[in-house]
Amino acid sequence: MDFRETTEHRALRETVAAIAGRFGGGYYAERAQARQPCTELWQALGQGGYIGINIPEEYGGGGAGLLELTMVCEEVSTQGCPLLLLLVSSAISGELLARYGTDEQRKEWLPRLATGQSKVVFAITEPDAGSNTHRLSTTATRDGADYLLRGSKHYISGVDEAEAILVVTRTGTDETTGAARLSLFVVPTDAPGLVRTPLPVDVMLPERQFVLHFDDVRVGPGALVGIEGEGFAQVFHGLNPERITGAALCVGVARYALARAAEYATTREVWGVPVGSHQGVSHPLAQAKIETELAALMTTRAAWSHDAGLPAGEASNMAKYAAAEAALAAVDAAIQTHGGNGLATEYGLVPLWGLARLLRIAPVNREMILNYVAQHSLGLPRSY
Amino acid sequence: MNIVVLVKQVPDTWSDRKLTDADHTLDRGSADAVLDEINERAVEEALKLKEAGDGEVTVVCMGPERATDAIRKALSMGVDKAVHLSDEALHGSCAVQTARALAKVIGTLGEVDLVVAGNEATDGTVGAVPAMIAEVLGMPELTHARKLTVEGSTVSIERETDDAITLLQAELPAVVSVNEKINEPRYPSFKGIMAAKKKPVTTMAIGDAGIAASEVGLANATSTVTASRPRPPREAGQVVTDEGDGAAKLVEYLVGQKLI
Repeated sequence: MDFRETTEHRALRETVAAIAGRFGGGYYAERAQARQPCTELWQALGQGGYIGINIPEEYGGGGAGLLELTMVCEEVSTQGCPLLLLLVSSAISGELLARYGTDEQRKEWLPRLATGQSKVVFAITEPDAGSNTHRLSTTATRDGADYLLRGSKHYISGVDEAEAILVVTRTGTDETTGAARLSLFVVPTDAPGLVRTPLPVDVMLPERQFVLHFDDVRVGPGALVGIEGEGFAQVFHGLNPERITGAALCVGVARYALARAAEYATTREVWGVPVGSHQGVSHPLAQAKIETELAALMTTRAAWSHDAGLPAGEASNMAKYAAAEAALAAVDAAIQTHGGNGLATEYGLVPLWGLARLLRIAPVNREMILNYVAQHSLGLPRSY
Repeated sequence: MNIVVLVKQVPDTWSDRKLTDADHTLDRGSADAVLDEINERAVEEALKLKEAGDGEVTVVCMGPERATDAIRKALSMGVDKAVHLSDEALHGSCAVQTARALAKVIGTLGEVDLVVAGNEATDGTVGAVPAMIAEVLGMPELTHARKLTVEGSTVSIERETDDAITLLQAELPAVVSVNEKINEPRYPSFKGIMAAKKKPVTTMAIGDAGIAASEVGLANATSTVTASRPRPPREAGQVVTDEGDGAAKLVEYLVGQKLI
């Protein structure tokens, strides 16, 4: 076993850190406070081939895997710029379109996703179907060769920045289990009959959240991604990447917050010594550092497993759980270290707390992960 | 056009840099090693020339084994190939020896049209090696360029020093050194990083470049460091009390520091 990173991986990390470092935490915090997207950073990363690093080379991507995308997520985030849509556009949409898309769909979307020119976001959550995907009620009904989409989706991130949405719909019901038969469609954000309404949230993010209403949105047969009725299995292929990149984003947030806290704690003096000399300040930071690096290890392992085609569910869930907890602990300790300044706009820590808090809930919440681990890793009775 | 760029690996400028106690040469273990920033600009300028016409860019680097990281960075930016002069015998070489050694390496590369270098490295800050190389190679030297153009077989630069901007022109082949204002170097792309792995890097010992052991190394250097001590801690800043002339005093200070 060799834990050293390759020269290329180190170069990848350094370059992404250098690009994102030119923007930095101040840039992200400003955008988060103004609810404005980090377009310039996204494009700079796209130009270098880092947004589409996991997209196949023949479609203009980097031809690398989720491991490399995970590194991109960690590094941008470690520079204070946790780009949430990397989880959606690069991880879920990129992986699903590359794996299940028709040749036309790949040609249409992947090259522009790879350069960062375009984004495709993902719509699964519904008002009455959160973690329980089997209860999805947005339907796609055949109408001649076309499909008509009807229903609504909640908490869909970045619709305003995206050119299309990958929508999870119900195209039938399994007669024996009553579970939904799901199908995926790629729908342009300007499709007639699709209405988006901002869903205000009190966390400061550059990415906005939306409610989507599909009022008989007509799409051609070319919009179906993969096989009709196989959506559930297909979506699962995109969910591990989302969890893993979500974990990577958390690892980066934690590293950034801890670096800011360490800097502050070594320079800020109150009783003639830096506040970091006090264990009340240093221990929570050290503890969060340990939790962060442990989460980073599991994140790498999960990404590696996914790329190797091995079962990655357990590692992805554990990584996402641990990283979100570590990020929250790190940002909280960093805020406490900064005293009153921890809440000041200038220090930009509160937007990171909001993001870390969000990532304890999404893309899969802490409790669902604990259920999973209890049942699948420990063999305990199913709880729901 | 056959362009050679000279690159150097230096200890990170922002780190705590030291000389060894034993022989007062650079303590390479004391700091992270990076491609000298000014070299990135030299590489960038060479790549721009290549992209504007046609040609090949070769980086030449003299340094210990780990300088391959600096070479790889240049390759990942888009440089075609590299030559790495690496030999224990080079340890402690002075500027004159370095210039002679590099000139010999350049001599092995066939017809070279243009040699581009940074104007000075952040570690030694001698700032003389590019001019010395031009001297050894018998090429015109155009140093401290803030702008570089090549038209046909003529190279032109805007040379910037504390005193003046000078417009210089020479016929190729020539040696140009660039300053930090010349460009903003590109970031390596992911494709560039992956391609760097497959690009040819020729490693030479001094014998391969026709350099005799007596021409290089600490024992034969033209200059010797006899003692060194760390820079004294930074002094407290100067407080300017505004008595109506605050702005003038600030400007005076900045001019004194050559910042404006």
